[in-house]
Amino acid sequence: MNWFKVITLTAALTANTAFAEVAVIVHPSNAATLDQAEITRLFTGRGATFNNGNKATPLNLSESAAARADFDSKVLGKSSSQMKAYWSKLVFTGKGTPPKELNSDAEMKAAVAADANAIGYIDAAAVDATVKVVAKF
Amino acid sequence: MKKTWLAACVAMACCTTTATAEVNINGFASIKAGKASSGDTLYGYTDEIDFKNESLFALQVQSDLGEKLSVTAQIMARGRNDFDAEFEWAFLTYQLTDEWRLNAGRLRTPFYKYSDFRDVGYAYDWLRTPQSVYDLGFDTIEGVSLYHSTSLSDMQSNLQLVFGAYDGEVAVVGTEAPAQINNIVGATWELSQDWLSLRMAYLMGDVSIEASSLNPLLLALTNVGLRSVAQEIDFNEDEGSFFGVGLNYDRNDWLMVAEYTHVKVEDSFYANQDSYYLSLGRRFGAFTPYVSYEKDEDDAKPEIYAALPANFPLQPTIATIVNSQWFDNTTWNLGLRYDFHPAAAFKVQFSSAKDKLTDSKDSLMALGVDLVF
Repeated sequence: MNWFKVITLTAALTANTAFAEVAVIVHPSNAATLDQAEITRLFTGRGATFNNGNKATPLNLSESAAARADFDSKVLGKSSSQMKAYWSKLVFTGKGTPPKELNSDAEMKAAVAADANAIGYIDAAAVDATVKVVAKF
Repeated sequence: MKKTWLAACVAMACCTTTATAEVNINGFASIKAGKASSGDTLYGYTDEIDFKNESLFALQVQSDLGEKLSVTAQIMARGRNDFDAEFEWAFLTYQLTDEWRLNAGRLRTPFYKYSDFRDVGYAYDWLRTPQSVYDLGFDTIEGVSLYHSTSLSDMQSNLQLVFGAYDGEVAVVGTEAPAQINNIVGATWELSQDWLSLRMAYLMGDVSIEASSLNPLLLALTNVGLRSVAQEIDFNEDEGSFFGVGLNYDRNDWLMVAEYTHVKVEDSFYANQDSYYLSLGRRFGAFTPYVSYEKDEDDAKPEIYAALPANFPLQPTIATIVNSQWFDNTTWNLGLRYDFHPAAAFKVQFSSAKDKLTDSKDSLMALGVDLVF
């Protein structure tokens, strides 16, 4: 009986990761439009402003959050290890600092809802009216 | 001068911890072991297994002082130096505009594509950077560096201008000698897009090396009226130049890196050095096997002694010194990187170097872990 539960649960989780969508979110007042190239620019430290000229503060999920690996692979086109290698090149040469990391979708939503310059991402299923979705992947 | 810079940077880094400034502490480490084949020596290894030679630990403290000013200090302990901690970097950063940034202090000399982070093994796939190319020394300079980064449509342009001086030691005719490079001026430019990047570097400076083992010969030449020959041998404010070009391709999990460098020092017995490498790899999830080929070819300057009379008594001595600069070496490497942990990579690499002039071969097996924290 327990085995059956484990199997169903595993199947559910696997299905969930396979079909989970990542929603890139900003503050509801943010009118900037963003495509994948623009988002990549902000999350790799190659740009610091939205296309309307306002300052952008990217926020990352920590590696323990499920949406992090999806965001790295679907949006940035890299594995989380590759992104870590990328940032270590910049950090240890004084050329850049990686985005601040938050531990969960809930923390991310709260941080983005509280900061007009913030840009982050969460599991699309966790989106609510406190944030605005600019892209889904 | 160097000490003053370091003291200033450290003092500022310490002061800020008591203020409200934000302090970031990061680090990286490599724990590596290697063993050359019986009777061989390569990259500091012998045929006895060694855990110290390429192991290192580093801590970096970066403090944002606000108002676009920050200070960074990196302390590194290398196994090769008995883990004595040394300041590898210590500099101030001032963000002039969104595109222009100024660093001042002790910096890494930007010769190669991987110069800036060659000690951060986690940042690249090899177990070590290709030594046929990454062998010049003069790794750090005291000075200023101006960076300009901008986007050109879908490409990123990074320009670095550097001014400064080197004051340290280099190996000349087998012994460490005090060396200075003054008036270093250089520029590097990297143009990159998603999967391709091209980098060029040119640096020049006035090279002086106090090679005491050469002094008796130089004095003797001067005494017999051949001061001009002495000047062609010694390093006395002689113009040194470095040219490098690098190419990087990373697409659909195929990886290719190549670099070529040319180094020379005018009016010295230092050989004109040409070296390059080509590396190919393929990413299979967490596994990245790679193969690379390196070549280092140094052309000595027999013209220094060619004009001397055949019976001139110092001629054989000069010929020996000049001809010691001939070098022709090829190396094959086969290796694997395995990302077994989010912050650590396991690596193993086999290297086989062939000296074409002596027709001897040295091979080495090394493995270890690179991590960042």
